[in-house]
Amino acid sequence: MSTTMNDQQGSHGGVQVRSASAIGKSSIEISELDFYYGTHKALKQINLNLPDKQVTGMIGPSGCGKSTLLRVLNRMYDLYPGQKAVGKVMMDGQNIIDPGVDLNALRARIGMVFQKPTPFPMTLYDNIAFGVRLHEKLSKAEMDERVEWSLTRAALWGEVKDRLNTSAMGLSGGQQQRLCIARTIAVRPEVILLDEPTSALDPISTLKVEELIDELKHDFTIAIVTHNMQQAARCADQVAFFYIGEMVEVGPAEQIFTAPKEKRTQEYVTGRFG
Amino acid sequence: MSDAPEHLVKSYDTELKRLRAMMADMGGMVENQVSLATQAIIHRDNDAAMKVVEEDPRVDALEREVEQNVVRMLALRQPMAADLRFIVASLKMTGDLERIGDYATNVAKRSIVLSQFPMPIPFAGLAHMCQLVQAQLKNIIDAVGTDDTDKAIEVWRSDATVDAVYNGIFRELITYMMEDPRNITPCTHLLFIAKNLERIGDHTTNIAETVYYAVRGEVLPDVRPKGDTSAYAVVRPKE
Repeated sequence: MSTTMNDQQGSHGGVQVRSASAIGKSSIEISELDFYYGTHKALKQINLNLPDKQVTGMIGPSGCGKSTLLRVLNRMYDLYPGQKAVGKVMMDGQNIIDPGVDLNALRARIGMVFQKPTPFPMTLYDNIAFGVRLHEKLSKAEMDERVEWSLTRAALWGEVKDRLNTSAMGLSGGQQQRLCIARTIAVRPEVILLDEPTSALDPISTLKVEELIDELKHDFTIAIVTHNMQQAARCADQVAFFYIGEMVEVGPAEQIFTAPKEKRTQEYVTGRFG
Repeated sequence: MSDAPEHLVKSYDTELKRLRAMMADMGGMVENQVSLATQAIIHRDNDAAMKVVEEDPRVDALEREVEQNVVRMLALRQPMAADLRFIVASLKMTGDLERIGDYATNVAKRSIVLSQFPMPIPFAGLAHMCQLVQAQLKNIIDAVGTDDTDKAIEVWRSDATVDAVYNGIFRELITYMMEDPRNITPCTHLLFIAKNLERIGDHTTNIAETVYYAVRGEVLPDVRPKGDTSAYAVVRPKE
Protein backbone atom coordinates (compact mmCIF):
# COMPACT_ATOMS: atom_id res chain seq x y z
CA MET A 1 0.00 0.00 0.00
CA SER A 2 2.44 2.64 -1.11
CA THR A 3 -0.10 4.84 -2.85
CA THR A 4 -1.46 7.87 -1.07
CA MET A 5 -4.96 7.86 0.29
CA ASN A 6 -6.09 10.31 -2.35
CA ASP A 7 -4.78 8.02 -5.04
CA GLN A 8 -6.67 5.15 -3.54
CA GLN A 9 -9.88 7.08 -3.39
CA GLY A 10 -9.55 8.07 -7.02
CA SER A 11 -8.72 4.63 -8.26
CA HIS A 12 -12.11 3.00 -8.06
CA GLY A 13 -14.00 4.88 -10.72
CA GLY A 14 -13.58 2.35 -13.52
CA VAL A 15 -15.87 -0.57 -14.07
CA GLN A 16 -14.20 -3.91 -13.69
CA VAL A 17 -15.35 -6.67 -15.94
CA ARG A 18 -15.79 -9.98 -14.20
CA SER A 19 -14.32 -12.76 -16.19
CA ALA A 20 -11.96 -15.64 -15.89
CA SER A 21 -9.41 -13.85 -18.01
CA ALA A 22 -9.38 -10.95 -15.56
CA ILE A 23 -7.95 -13.24 -12.89
CA GLY A 24 -4.28 -12.36 -12.89
CA LYS A 25 -1.67 -12.54 -10.17
CA SER A 26 -2.51 -13.90 -6.79
CA SER A 27 -2.33 -12.17 -3.41
CA ILE A 28 -2.33 -15.45 -1.56
CA GLU A 29 -1.44 -18.86 -2.87
CA ILE A 30 -2.57 -21.81 -0.81
CA SER A 31 -1.11 -25.19 -1.61
CA GLU A 32 -1.42 -28.61 -0.05
CA LEU A 33 -2.92 -27.15 3.08
CA ASP A 34 -4.13 -29.48 5.83
CA PHE A 35 -5.72 -28.27 9.03
CA TYR A 36 -6.36 -30.16 12.25
CA TYR A 37 -8.66 -29.52 15.19
CA GLY A 38 -6.77 -31.85 17.54
CA THR A 39 -6.83 -35.14 15.66
CA HIS A 40 -9.74 -34.18 13.43
CA LYS A 41 -8.59 -33.18 9.96
CA ALA A 42 -10.83 -30.29 8.96
CA LEU A 43 -9.08 -29.29 5.74
CA LYS A 44 -7.56 -31.74 3.31
CA GLN A 45 -4.98 -30.77 0.73
CA ILE A 46 -6.44 -27.41 -0.18
CA ASN A 47 -5.01 -25.72 -3.27
CA LEU A 48 -6.47 -22.30 -3.92
CA ASN A 49 -5.24 -18.92 -5.08
CA LEU A 50 -6.83 -15.64 -4.04
CA PRO A 51 -6.42 -13.44 -7.13
CA ASP A 52 -5.21 -9.92 -6.43
CA LYS A 53 -7.99 -7.33 -6.11
CA GLN A 54 -10.72 -9.81 -6.78
CA VAL A 55 -13.43 -11.34 -4.67
CA THR A 56 -13.21 -15.04 -3.94
CA GLY A 57 -16.45 -16.52 -2.63
CA MET A 58 -16.33 -19.67 -0.53
CA ILE A 59 -19.47 -21.76 -0.41
CA GLY A 60 -20.38 -25.15 0.97
CA PRO A 61 -22.55 -26.78 3.62
CA SER A 62 -21.94 -26.21 7.33
CA GLY A 63 -18.81 -27.93 8.55
CA CYS A 64 -17.20 -28.06 5.12
CA GLY A 65 -14.16 -26.08 6.21
CA LYS A 66 -14.72 -22.71 4.56
CA SER A 67 -14.65 -20.69 7.80
CA THR A 68 -11.72 -22.79 9.00
CA LEU A 69 -9.81 -21.73 5.91
CA LEU A 70 -10.45 -18.05 6.67
CA ARG A 71 -9.24 -18.65 10.22
CA VAL A 72 -6.03 -20.12 8.82
CA LEU A 73 -5.44 -17.12 6.58
CA ASN A 74 -5.00 -14.70 9.46
CA ARG A 75 -3.75 -17.27 11.97
CA MET A 76 -6.80 -17.00 14.21
CA TYR A 77 -6.32 -20.64 15.10
CA ASP A 78 -3.13 -19.71 16.97
CA LEU A 79 -5.33 -18.59 19.84
CA TYR A 80 -6.46 -22.17 20.42
CA PRO A 81 -4.12 -24.95 21.52
CA GLY A 82 -4.34 -28.22 19.62
CA GLN A 83 -5.17 -26.58 16.29
CA LYS A 84 -2.56 -26.91 13.61
CA ALA A 85 -2.08 -26.03 9.96
CA VAL A 86 0.34 -27.86 7.65
CA GLY A 87 1.16 -26.81 4.12
CA LYS A 88 1.81 -23.56 2.36
CA VAL A 89 -0.05 -20.27 2.45
CA MET A 90 2.23 -17.99 0.49
CA MET A 91 1.96 -14.21 0.57
CA ASP A 92 4.77 -12.17 -0.96
CA GLY A 93 7.10 -15.14 -0.85
CA GLN A 94 6.48 -15.84 2.82
CA ASN A 95 4.62 -18.86 4.19
CA ILE A 96 2.27 -17.14 6.62
CA ILE A 97 1.63 -20.29 8.64
CA ASP A 98 5.32 -20.54 9.59
CA PRO A 99 5.78 -20.25 13.36
CA GLY A 100 8.15 -17.28 13.07
CA VAL A 101 5.63 -14.95 11.41
CA ASP A 102 4.81 -11.71 13.28
CA LEU A 103 1.11 -12.15 13.92
CA ASN A 104 0.36 -8.50 14.62
CA ALA A 105 1.95 -7.49 11.34
CA LEU A 106 0.17 -10.32 9.54
CA ARG A 107 -3.24 -9.33 10.91
CA ALA A 108 -2.63 -5.77 9.82
CA ARG A 109 -2.12 -7.08 6.30
CA ILE A 110 -5.01 -9.53 6.41
CA GLY A 111 -8.09 -8.06 8.11
CA MET A 112 -11.20 -9.94 9.09
CA VAL A 113 -14.87 -9.09 9.53
CA PHE A 114 -17.17 -11.49 11.35
CA GLN A 115 -20.74 -12.69 11.07
CA LYS A 116 -22.06 -10.56 13.90
CA PRO A 117 -21.06 -6.90 14.02
CA THR A 118 -18.50 -6.52 16.80
CA PRO A 119 -18.12 -2.81 17.48
CA PHE A 120 -16.02 -1.91 20.52
CA PRO A 121 -17.98 -0.20 23.32
CA MET A 122 -16.43 3.17 22.56
CA THR A 123 -17.05 6.10 20.24
CA LEU A 124 -17.25 5.67 16.47
CA TYR A 125 -14.02 7.61 16.12
CA ASP A 126 -12.16 5.43 18.60
CA ASN A 127 -13.48 2.26 16.99
CA ILE A 128 -11.59 3.22 13.86
CA ALA A 129 -8.57 4.82 15.55
CA PHE A 130 -8.01 1.94 17.97
CA GLY A 131 -6.46 -0.46 15.48
CA VAL A 132 -4.56 2.27 13.66
CA ARG A 133 -2.86 3.38 16.89
CA LEU A 134 -1.50 -0.15 17.37
CA HIS A 135 0.38 -0.01 14.11
CA GLU A 136 1.09 3.61 13.29
CA LYS A 137 1.89 6.85 15.05
CA LEU A 138 -0.31 9.45 13.43
CA SER A 139 -0.87 13.09 14.30
CA LYS A 140 -4.39 14.20 15.25
CA ALA A 141 -4.93 15.63 11.78
CA GLU A 142 -3.65 12.49 10.11
CA MET A 143 -5.84 10.33 12.32
CA ASP A 144 -8.88 12.50 11.53
CA GLU A 145 -8.12 12.06 7.89
CA ARG A 146 -7.72 8.29 8.28
CA VAL A 147 -11.03 7.98 10.13
CA GLU A 148 -12.83 9.95 7.46
CA TRP A 149 -11.18 7.94 4.70
CA SER A 150 -12.08 4.62 6.30
CA LEU A 151 -15.67 5.61 6.94
CA THR A 152 -15.99 7.01 3.44
CA ARG A 153 -14.63 3.83 1.88
CA ALA A 154 -17.05 1.84 4.03
CA ALA A 155 -19.95 3.97 2.74
CA LEU A 156 -20.78 5.13 6.25
CA TRP A 157 -19.29 8.63 6.44
CA GLY A 158 -22.38 10.47 5.27
CA GLU A 159 -24.54 8.75 7.86
CA VAL A 160 -22.27 9.21 10.87
CA LYS A 161 -20.04 12.24 10.27
CA ASP A 162 -21.99 14.36 12.75
CA ARG A 163 -21.82 11.86 15.57
CA LEU A 164 -18.30 10.51 15.55
CA ASN A 165 -18.03 11.04 19.28
CA THR A 166 -21.12 9.05 20.20
CA SER A 167 -21.07 5.36 21.10
CA ALA A 168 -20.86 2.85 18.27
CA MET A 169 -23.41 0.76 20.12
CA GLY A 170 -26.11 3.22 19.04
CA LEU A 171 -25.75 2.33 15.36
CA SER A 172 -28.09 -0.04 13.55
CA GLY A 173 -26.87 -3.57 12.81
CA GLY A 174 -26.09 -2.71 9.19
CA GLN A 175 -24.23 0.44 10.22
CA GLN A 176 -22.31 -1.49 12.87
CA GLN A 177 -21.18 -4.01 10.27
CA ARG A 178 -20.04 -1.26 7.92
CA LEU A 179 -18.22 0.28 10.89
CA CYS A 180 -16.44 -3.03 11.41
CA ILE A 181 -15.45 -3.01 7.75
CA ALA A 182 -14.24 0.58 8.12
CA ARG A 183 -12.23 -0.48 11.17
CA THR A 184 -10.69 -3.31 9.17
CA ILE A 185 -9.69 -1.16 6.23
CA ALA A 186 -8.42 1.65 8.50
CA VAL A 187 -5.14 -0.20 9.00
CA ARG A 188 -4.93 -0.48 5.22
CA PRO A 189 -4.65 -4.24 4.85
CA GLU A 190 -4.02 -6.01 1.55
CA VAL A 191 -6.56 -8.75 2.07
CA ILE A 192 -9.97 -8.60 3.73
CA LEU A 193 -11.61 -11.77 4.98
CA LEU A 194 -15.37 -11.62 5.41
CA ASP A 195 -16.98 -14.46 7.35
CA GLU A 196 -20.73 -14.38 6.65
CA PRO A 197 -20.70 -10.59 6.88
CA THR A 198 -24.39 -10.09 6.14
CA SER A 199 -26.07 -13.07 7.77
CA ALA A 200 -27.26 -10.90 10.67
CA LEU A 201 -28.39 -8.01 8.46
CA ASP A 202 -31.66 -7.03 6.81
CA PRO A 203 -31.86 -7.12 2.99
CA ILE A 204 -31.17 -3.41 2.45
CA SER A 205 -28.14 -3.42 4.76
CA THR A 206 -27.02 -6.59 3.00
CA LEU A 207 -27.17 -4.88 -0.39
CA LYS A 208 -25.21 -1.92 1.00
CA VAL A 209 -22.48 -4.26 2.20
CA GLU A 210 -22.48 -6.05 -1.17
CA GLU A 211 -22.17 -2.72 -2.98
CA LEU A 212 -19.33 -1.92 -0.61
CA ILE A 213 -17.57 -5.19 -1.45
CA ASP A 214 -17.83 -4.28 -5.12
CA GLU A 215 -16.16 -0.95 -4.38
CA LEU A 216 -13.51 -2.32 -2.04
CA LYS A 217 -12.26 -4.91 -4.48
CA HIS A 218 -10.63 -2.16 -6.51
CA ASP A 219 -8.17 -1.71 -3.67
CA PHE A 220 -8.23 -4.94 -1.69
CA THR A 221 -8.19 -8.66 -2.26
CA ILE A 222 -11.33 -10.09 -0.69
CA ALA A 223 -12.36 -13.54 0.48
CA ILE A 224 -15.97 -13.97 1.53
CA VAL A 225 -17.53 -16.98 3.19
CA THR A 226 -21.26 -17.06 2.68
CA HIS A 227 -24.13 -19.48 3.00
CA ASN A 228 -26.12 -17.36 0.61
CA MET A 229 -25.38 -18.62 -2.86
CA GLN A 230 -27.07 -15.67 -4.53
CA GLN A 231 -24.73 -13.45 -2.56
CA ALA A 232 -21.70 -15.39 -3.77
CA ALA A 233 -23.10 -15.13 -7.30
CA ARG A 234 -23.59 -11.37 -6.94
CA CYS A 235 -20.30 -10.52 -5.25
CA ALA A 236 -17.64 -13.00 -6.21
CA ASP A 237 -15.37 -13.13 -9.24
CA GLN A 238 -14.26 -16.65 -8.47
CA VAL A 239 -16.09 -19.15 -6.31
CA ALA A 240 -14.70 -22.17 -4.46
CA PHE A 241 -16.99 -24.97 -3.35
CA PHE A 242 -15.99 -26.91 -0.23
CA TYR A 243 -17.33 -30.20 1.03
CA ILE A 244 -16.22 -32.05 4.17
CA GLY A 245 -12.82 -30.45 4.29
CA GLU A 246 -12.09 -30.74 0.59
CA MET A 247 -12.17 -28.06 -2.03
CA VAL A 248 -14.26 -29.75 -4.69
CA GLU A 249 -14.18 -27.10 -7.39
CA VAL A 250 -13.05 -23.55 -8.02
CA GLY A 251 -13.88 -21.42 -11.03
CA PRO A 252 -15.33 -18.15 -12.24
CA ALA A 253 -18.64 -17.42 -10.46
CA GLU A 254 -20.50 -17.60 -13.76
CA GLN A 255 -19.25 -21.08 -14.44
CA ILE A 256 -19.91 -22.41 -10.94
CA PHE A 257 -23.51 -21.18 -11.00
CA THR A 258 -24.42 -21.94 -14.60
CA ALA A 259 -22.35 -24.97 -15.55
CA PRO A 260 -20.32 -26.46 -12.71
CA LYS A 261 -17.99 -29.27 -13.70
CA GLU A 262 -18.29 -31.44 -10.61
CA LYS A 263 -21.40 -33.42 -9.78
CA ARG A 264 -21.22 -32.50 -6.08
CA THR A 265 -21.07 -28.79 -6.93
CA GLN A 266 -24.03 -29.20 -9.25
CA GLU A 267 -26.06 -30.92 -6.56
CA TYR A 268 -25.15 -28.34 -3.93
CA VAL A 269 -25.86 -25.22 -5.97
CA THR A 270 -29.16 -26.58 -7.26
CA GLY A 271 -30.25 -27.55 -3.75
CA ARG A 272 -30.17 -31.31 -4.27
CA PHE A 273 -27.64 -32.12 -1.64
CA GLY A 274 -28.54 -35.36 0.02
CA MET B 1 -31.35 -33.28 -14.92
CA SER B 2 -34.01 -35.94 -15.30
CA ASP B 3 -31.76 -38.47 -13.51
CA ALA B 4 -30.59 -36.01 -10.83
CA PRO B 5 -31.30 -36.71 -7.18
CA GLU B 6 -34.43 -35.17 -5.73
CA HIS B 7 -34.43 -31.57 -4.69
CA LEU B 8 -34.39 -30.85 -0.95
CA VAL B 9 -37.44 -28.65 -1.39
CA LYS B 10 -40.08 -31.00 -2.75
CA SER B 11 -42.38 -28.31 -4.09
CA TYR B 12 -39.48 -27.05 -6.26
CA ASP B 13 -39.11 -30.56 -7.68
CA THR B 14 -42.84 -30.65 -8.34
CA GLU B 15 -42.61 -27.36 -10.24
CA LEU B 16 -39.66 -28.58 -12.31
CA LYS B 17 -41.54 -31.77 -13.16
CA ARG B 18 -44.60 -29.76 -14.07
CA LEU B 19 -42.53 -27.55 -16.37
CA ARG B 20 -41.10 -30.67 -17.98
CA ALA B 21 -44.62 -32.06 -18.43
CA MET B 22 -45.83 -28.80 -19.99
CA MET B 23 -42.93 -28.92 -22.46
CA ALA B 24 -43.85 -32.51 -23.33
CA ASP B 25 -47.52 -31.54 -23.79
CA MET B 26 -46.64 -28.61 -25.97
CA GLY B 27 -44.24 -30.75 -27.99
CA GLY B 28 -46.97 -33.34 -28.51
CA MET B 29 -49.53 -30.73 -29.57
CA VAL B 30 -47.17 -29.10 -32.06
CA GLU B 31 -46.06 -32.47 -33.43
CA ASN B 32 -49.70 -33.33 -33.97
CA GLN B 33 -50.30 -29.99 -35.70
CA VAL B 34 -47.43 -30.59 -38.13
CA SER B 35 -48.63 -34.12 -38.78
CA LEU B 36 -52.19 -32.93 -39.51
CA ALA B 37 -50.92 -30.09 -41.68
CA THR B 38 -48.93 -32.63 -43.71
CA GLN B 39 -52.02 -34.75 -44.14
CA ALA B 40 -53.98 -31.65 -45.14
CA ILE B 41 -51.64 -30.85 -48.03
CA ILE B 42 -50.77 -34.30 -49.27
CA HIS B 43 -54.26 -35.77 -48.99
CA ARG B 44 -56.12 -32.51 -49.57
CA ASP B 45 -57.84 -33.11 -46.25
CA ASN B 46 -59.67 -29.95 -45.14
CA ASP B 47 -60.87 -31.51 -41.88
CA ALA B 48 -57.31 -32.12 -40.87
CA ALA B 49 -56.47 -28.53 -41.81
CA MET B 50 -59.28 -27.19 -39.66
CA LYS B 51 -58.03 -29.20 -36.68
CA VAL B 52 -54.61 -27.60 -37.01
CA VAL B 53 -56.14 -24.13 -37.01
CA GLU B 54 -58.36 -24.94 -34.04
CA GLU B 55 -55.41 -26.29 -32.07
CA ASP B 56 -53.36 -23.12 -32.41
CA PRO B 57 -54.96 -21.06 -29.59
CA ARG B 58 -54.33 -23.97 -27.20
CA VAL B 59 -50.65 -24.02 -28.13
CA ASP B 60 -50.46 -20.26 -27.63
CA ALA B 61 -52.15 -20.59 -24.23
CA LEU B 62 -49.69 -23.26 -23.18
CA GLU B 63 -46.81 -21.04 -24.26
CA ARG B 64 -48.09 -18.27 -22.01
CA GLU B 65 -48.48 -20.70 -19.14
CA VAL B 66 -44.88 -21.90 -19.55
CA GLU B 67 -43.71 -18.27 -19.64
CA GLN B 68 -45.55 -17.44 -16.44
CA ASN B 69 -44.17 -20.51 -14.72
CA VAL B 70 -40.63 -19.70 -15.81
CA VAL B 71 -40.83 -16.12 -14.59
CA ARG B 72 -42.30 -17.28 -11.30
CA MET B 73 -39.64 -19.94 -10.80
CA LEU B 74 -36.85 -17.50 -11.61
CA ALA B 75 -38.25 -15.05 -9.07
CA LEU B 76 -39.15 -17.47 -6.31
CA ARG B 77 -36.68 -20.33 -6.64
CA GLN B 78 -33.59 -18.52 -7.91
CA PRO B 79 -32.52 -21.62 -9.82
CA MET B 80 -28.86 -22.46 -10.34
CA ALA B 81 -26.72 -24.57 -12.69
CA ALA B 82 -28.61 -27.35 -14.51
CA ASP B 83 -31.98 -26.19 -13.11
CA LEU B 84 -31.31 -22.65 -14.29
CA ARG B 85 -30.29 -23.89 -17.72
CA PHE B 86 -33.35 -26.09 -18.03
CA ILE B 87 -35.74 -23.35 -16.94
CA VAL B 88 -34.27 -20.77 -19.31
CA ALA B 89 -34.14 -23.42 -22.05
CA SER B 90 -37.86 -24.12 -21.52
CA LEU B 91 -38.60 -20.46 -22.14
CA LYS B 92 -36.62 -20.52 -25.38
CA MET B 93 -37.97 -23.88 -26.55
CA THR B 94 -41.54 -22.91 -25.90
CA GLY B 95 -41.01 -19.90 -28.17
CA ASP B 96 -39.67 -22.16 -30.90
CA LEU B 97 -42.51 -24.63 -30.47
CA GLU B 98 -45.06 -21.84 -30.66
CA ARG B 99 -43.52 -20.63 -33.92
CA ILE B 100 -43.58 -24.18 -35.29
CA GLY B 101 -47.27 -24.30 -34.40
CA ASP B 102 -47.83 -21.03 -36.26
CA TYR B 103 -46.06 -22.33 -39.36
CA ALA B 104 -48.11 -25.53 -39.25
CA THR B 105 -51.26 -23.41 -38.98
CA ASN B 106 -50.19 -21.34 -41.96
CA VAL B 107 -49.52 -24.50 -43.96
CA ALA B 108 -52.99 -25.80 -43.02
CA LYS B 109 -54.71 -22.56 -44.06
CA ARG B 110 -52.93 -22.58 -47.40
CA SER B 111 -53.85 -26.22 -47.93
CA ILE B 112 -57.52 -25.22 -47.67
CA VAL B 113 -57.02 -22.63 -50.43
CA LEU B 114 -54.99 -25.09 -52.48
CA SER B 115 -57.73 -27.71 -52.33
CA GLN B 116 -59.84 -25.41 -54.51
CA PHE B 117 -57.35 -25.65 -57.38
CA PRO B 118 -56.71 -28.57 -59.70
CA MET B 119 -53.27 -29.82 -58.84
CA PRO B 120 -51.27 -30.72 -61.94
CA ILE B 121 -48.10 -30.86 -59.88
CA PRO B 122 -46.59 -33.99 -58.32
CA PHE B 123 -46.31 -33.80 -54.51
CA ALA B 124 -43.34 -36.13 -54.20
CA GLY B 125 -40.79 -33.47 -53.19
CA LEU B 126 -43.11 -31.76 -50.76
CA ALA B 127 -44.19 -35.09 -49.26
CA HIS B 128 -40.54 -35.96 -48.72
CA MET B 129 -39.91 -32.63 -47.07
CA CYS B 130 -42.93 -33.14 -44.80
CA GLN B 131 -41.56 -36.53 -43.77
CA LEU B 132 -38.12 -35.12 -43.00
CA VAL B 133 -39.48 -32.24 -40.94
CA GLN B 134 -41.87 -34.49 -39.05
CA ALA B 135 -39.07 -36.91 -38.21
CA GLN B 136 -36.84 -34.03 -37.12
CA LEU B 137 -39.55 -32.67 -34.87
CA LYS B 138 -40.37 -36.04 -33.36
CA ASN B 139 -36.71 -36.71 -32.62
CA ILE B 140 -36.11 -33.34 -31.02
CA ILE B 141 -39.18 -33.65 -28.82
CA ASP B 142 -37.92 -37.08 -27.72
CA ALA B 143 -34.48 -35.57 -27.09
CA VAL B 144 -36.00 -32.83 -24.90
CA GLY B 145 -37.96 -35.42 -22.91
CA THR B 146 -34.97 -37.68 -22.33
CA ASP B 147 -32.11 -35.13 -22.22
CA ASP B 148 -30.60 -36.99 -25.18
CA THR B 149 -27.88 -34.73 -26.57
CA ASP B 150 -26.71 -37.29 -29.15
CA LYS B 151 -30.16 -37.25 -30.67
CA ALA B 152 -30.15 -33.43 -30.50
CA ILE B 153 -26.90 -33.31 -32.48
CA GLU B 154 -28.37 -35.72 -35.03
CA VAL B 155 -31.35 -33.39 -35.51
CA TRP B 156 -29.06 -30.37 -35.64
CA ARG B 157 -27.09 -31.96 -38.46
CA SER B 158 -30.13 -33.19 -40.39
CA ASP B 159 -31.42 -29.69 -41.09
CA ALA B 160 -29.05 -29.34 -44.06
CA THR B 161 -31.00 -32.10 -45.84
CA VAL B 162 -34.30 -30.26 -45.30
CA ASP B 163 -32.72 -27.13 -46.75
CA ALA B 164 -31.46 -29.04 -49.77
CA VAL B 165 -34.91 -30.50 -50.46
CA TYR B 166 -36.44 -27.03 -50.03
CA ASN B 167 -34.06 -25.60 -52.63
CA GLY B 168 -35.09 -28.34 -55.04
CA ILE B 169 -38.79 -27.62 -54.51
CA PHE B 170 -38.21 -23.90 -54.94
CA ARG B 171 -36.62 -24.41 -58.34
CA GLU B 172 -39.22 -26.98 -59.37
CA LEU B 173 -42.12 -24.67 -58.53
CA ILE B 174 -40.59 -21.81 -60.46
CA THR B 175 -40.40 -23.98 -63.56
CA TYR B 176 -44.10 -24.86 -63.22
CA MET B 177 -44.96 -21.20 -62.90
CA MET B 178 -42.90 -20.37 -65.97
CA GLU B 179 -44.62 -23.13 -67.94
CA ASP B 180 -48.14 -21.90 -67.28
CA PRO B 181 -49.26 -18.68 -65.57
CA ARG B 182 -52.36 -20.49 -64.27
CA ASN B 183 -50.00 -22.39 -61.98
CA ILE B 184 -48.85 -19.22 -60.31
CA THR B 185 -51.50 -19.08 -57.57
CA PRO B 186 -51.25 -22.71 -56.40
CA CYS B 187 -47.48 -22.72 -56.85
CA THR B 188 -47.09 -19.55 -54.79
CA HIS B 189 -49.06 -21.20 -51.99
CA LEU B 190 -46.92 -24.29 -52.33
CA LEU B 191 -43.81 -22.14 -52.20
CA PHE B 192 -44.93 -20.58 -48.94
CA ILE B 193 -45.82 -24.02 -47.64
CA ALA B 194 -42.35 -25.29 -48.48
CA LYS B 195 -40.81 -22.21 -46.88
CA ASN B 196 -42.90 -22.73 -43.73
CA LEU B 197 -41.71 -26.33 -43.55
CA GLU B 198 -38.14 -25.16 -43.98
CA ARG B 199 -38.64 -22.66 -41.12
CA ILE B 200 -40.04 -25.46 -38.96
CA GLY B 201 -36.74 -27.24 -39.59
CA ASP B 202 -34.83 -24.14 -38.49
CA HIS B 203 -36.76 -23.88 -35.23
CA THR B 204 -36.20 -27.59 -34.65
CA THR B 205 -32.49 -26.89 -35.00
CA ASN B 206 -32.80 -24.04 -32.46
CA ILE B 207 -34.39 -26.46 -30.02
CA ALA B 208 -31.53 -28.91 -30.62
CA GLU B 209 -29.03 -26.19 -29.70
CA THR B 210 -31.04 -25.21 -26.63
CA VAL B 211 -31.44 -28.73 -25.31
CA TYR B 212 -27.74 -29.38 -25.85
CA TYR B 213 -26.87 -26.33 -23.74
CA ALA B 214 -29.45 -27.18 -21.09
CA VAL B 215 -28.10 -30.68 -20.62
CA ARG B 216 -24.37 -30.22 -21.15
CA GLY B 217 -23.83 -26.60 -20.12
CA GLU B 218 -21.85 -26.04 -23.32
CA VAL B 219 -22.96 -24.38 -26.52
CA LEU B 220 -22.88 -26.05 -29.91
CA PRO B 221 -20.56 -24.37 -32.43
CA ASP B 222 -21.72 -21.14 -34.06
CA VAL B 223 -21.73 -22.60 -37.54
CA ARG B 224 -25.22 -23.89 -38.13
CA PRO B 225 -25.96 -26.40 -40.85
CA LYS B 226 -27.76 -23.85 -43.05
CA GLY B 227 -28.44 -24.90 -46.57
CA ASP B 228 -31.27 -22.65 -47.80
CA THR B 229 -29.72 -21.08 -50.89
CA SER B 230 -32.99 -20.21 -52.61
CA ALA B 231 -32.32 -16.53 -51.87
CA TYR B 232 -29.41 -16.78 -54.34
CA ALA B 233 -31.28 -18.67 -57.07
CA VAL B 234 -31.19 -16.73 -60.29
CA VAL B 235 -34.14 -17.16 -62.60
CA ARG B 236 -34.00 -15.72 -66.06
CA PRO B 237 -37.26 -15.39 -67.98
CA LYS B 238 -37.25 -16.78 -71.53
CA GLU B 239 -36.54 -14.16 -74.16
